[in-house]
Amino acid sequence: MRRFLGILFLLIIGTGIIIYAAVPSKPKEGTLDKIKKRGHLLWGADAEGGAPYAFPDPKDPSELVGFEVDLAQSIARELGVKAVESQNAWDSLIPALERGDFDFAMNGIEITEKRKERVLFSQPYYIYTEQLVVRKDENSIKSVNDLKGRTVGTLSGTVAQDILMGMRGVNVKIYSGQVEPYQDLALGRLDAVLLDLPIAAYYARPNPKLKFAGPPVGEGLYAIAIRKNDVQLKKKLDEVLAKLYRTGELKRIYEKWGLWNNKQEKLAAYFRNPDKNAATLEESQRAPVKSFFPMLLKGAGVTVLISVSSMSLAIGLGLILTLMRLYAGAPFNWLAASYIEVYRGTPLLIQLYILYYGLPNIGISLNPVLAAFLGLGMNYAAYEAELYRAGINAVPHGQMEAALSLGMTKGLALRRIILPQAVKIALPGITNDFIALFKDSSLVSVIAMVELTKTYSMLAASTLRFFQLGIITALLYFGMSYPLSLLARRLEKKLKKDRR
Amino acid sequence: MISVRDLYKSFGTNTLFAGVSLQVEKGEAVVLIGPSGSGKSTVLRCINGLEMFDRGEITVAGIELHSINRKRPSKEDAENIRRVRLKLGMVFQQFNLFPHMTVLQNITEAPVRVLGMSRREAEEIARGILRQINLESKVNSYPAQLSGGEQQRVAIARALAMRPEAMLFDEPTSSLDPEMAGEVLSVIRKLVEDGMTTLIVTHEMGFAREVADRVVVFDKGTIIETGPPEDIFTNPKVPRTREFLNRVLK
Ligand SMILES: Nc1ncnc2c1ncn2[C@@H]1O[C@H](COP(=O)(O)OP(=O)(O)O)[C@@H](O)[C@H]1O
Ligand SMILES: [Mg+2]
Repeated sequence: MRRFLGILFLLIIGTGIIIYAAVPSKPKEGTLDKIKKRGHLLWGADAEGGAPYAFPDPKDPSELVGFEVDLAQSIARELGVKAVESQNAWDSLIPALERGDFDFAMNGIEITEKRKERVLFSQPYYIYTEQLVVRKDENSIKSVNDLKGRTVGTLSGTVAQDILMGMRGVNVKIYSGQVEPYQDLALGRLDAVLLDLPIAAYYARPNPKLKFAGPPVGEGLYAIAIRKNDVQLKKKLDEVLAKLYRTGELKRIYEKWGLWNNKQEKLAAYFRNPDKNAATLEESQRAPVKSFFPMLLKGAGVTVLISVSSMSLAIGLGLILTLMRLYAGAPFNWLAASYIEVYRGTPLLIQLYILYYGLPNIGISLNPVLAAFLGLGMNYAAYEAELYRAGINAVPHGQMEAALSLGMTKGLALRRIILPQAVKIALPGITNDFIALFKDSSLVSVIAMVELTKTYSMLAASTLRFFQLGIITALLYFGMSYPLSLLARRLEKKLKKDRR
Repeated sequence: MISVRDLYKSFGTNTLFAGVSLQVEKGEAVVLIGPSGSGKSTVLRCINGLEMFDRGEITVAGIELHSINRKRPSKEDAENIRRVRLKLGMVFQQFNLFPHMTVLQNITEAPVRVLGMSRREAEEIARGILRQINLESKVNSYPAQLSGGEQQRVAIARALAMRPEAMLFDEPTSSLDPEMAGEVLSVIRKLVEDGMTTLIVTHEMGFAREVADRVVVFDKGTIIETGPPEDIFTNPKVPRTREFLNRVLK
């Protein structure tokens, strides 16, 4: 007991040291000095589906383009350095900034009260609005006031999400990319999409199936996010932005990207009055951690449901695949073997994308629940099939011969003699696969399923409490998977006892 | 009862049999002896359809098995194989009891599922056989809880519960120590005395001499000698038989 306590104590101390070491110490020299010394500035953005902000040039994907790329280059030129983009998931730009991964983040980041607690904002460089987009044939939705009872898509962590969440009776679907919501809208999976005007202008306007509904709503400011202690850098960036505005360079960039409108005239006020960059959009209020539990638990429920149902599919389909592979003639054995190899040899994520976003191209549109069930189940079936096969091969050959010599048919012998023994051998593996599937179910968040991981990333992105919520979410996963492995171990023991 | 005529059999390019013939009459006890690798097991396995053969003909209780050299026998062939298996009981060197079933379940599984017997009737028969071989107390044990000799006796009981017309034994005592071998041999002896048609592969020469009506000597895939046990054991005509007997009786 004493030894156990000693080890525990060491563990806690060790963890403390690791966390301490992982937290970046405050930079001693200012970031501005570092940029000059380095010869280039590092700006954080998410170029994945990031048009028209920052995205790979369709003509030469190794180059980034976008209005923020132009802006970054102008800023860099004013500082006498080069601009280098640092790729980061949009959701985690601010944590990455705090960690010191880059000098500042500039990627359509809206000024909000919540964010202002964590970062310093430059003067705003763009005034955005939220644009509602619907299908061309949609006549009942004319503005955001008509969204009650409708399913509306938006991007995780955006102000549009906050607006939608604040409206009663709207079924909000959160995406992590900007392409998918409009795709789903065109396919009829959504009734409307609310997103920042630049996104709508780039992705929705050219789509003949979609149209803008109503005037832009809300109004907010994009600004550069800077680490709290980088006051010097903020001052310099404000000067540079004011100069770019005065010289008309900013306007030229926006005109180039079709983003200039009368609203931008108001930017002048900010450059004259340096400290009036308050957010214009209402924040969802700060809430105690307790208040997130209902949503997280609901997400956990969805996770359990998806895992259990797709594991059942995997177990059943896996058995069929094994029997086909081992006992059916051509071409079935060949088909089963190919299925297993293909599913094991390609990433689950790709399979999910093809099921959910790919199949609609050939006219098959699955809802997220069905796509998640099929995606996970069909993938794991390949693994279960291999486990069964190993189990069957591990049953001594004499068992089948003894059964046959008693006059049993092959089918009866399989069912009554071979499979019960094979399953027992495969059981530990199947259990482990279930636990793995349980965790892999987090991948279905990419196909608009709001399960535990998706709930976490939504909550974390809108509250920026990645650590707290992350620990709680991890504990929820562990709390569910651990009893599972205990139960499995007991089953295994029981079967072993029966055998003796 | 069992007749093998002009059997050809090869494994890949290795020819094992090139024209083996063998008869077992009803009620007769035939013992196969010979060096290991000489083809004794393969003959038994061909007879009950566990092994395909290339040429020749096997007849069991009037049912004919033809040279079934295809991977997938036709429906008719498959049905014949099954009918033959219902006429024959087979006992393996490795017992091959079903480890996930109790002794009683091992014995009743096939009568219930294959013959469609009621569970009650099957259990009654099973208990009767177990009583005769002194294993009634083990009905609810699992195979892993039994000694080797007990397991092999259960395996015999399992085969007998199907009411076969003949029994095939492939070295039934080779994985047992002498004491346990004795238990098993006395069960087989009793069967032979009761008139069961039996074909036994064994290395127990004393036992062979005692129960056999006829002894068949195998060597390298051919039958080199056959005759009543007194002749084979005291006065073998073929030198290779003598050599073999000298080796094993020493
Ligand atoms: N499945 C098989 N594949 C290839 N060769 C085999 C196979 N079964 C038996 N043989 C060969 O056939 C010969 C006879 O084997 P077997 O009938 O088991 O002999 P015995 O029972 O007399 O010891 C041996 O040489 C053995 O190697
Ligand atoms: Mg043998």
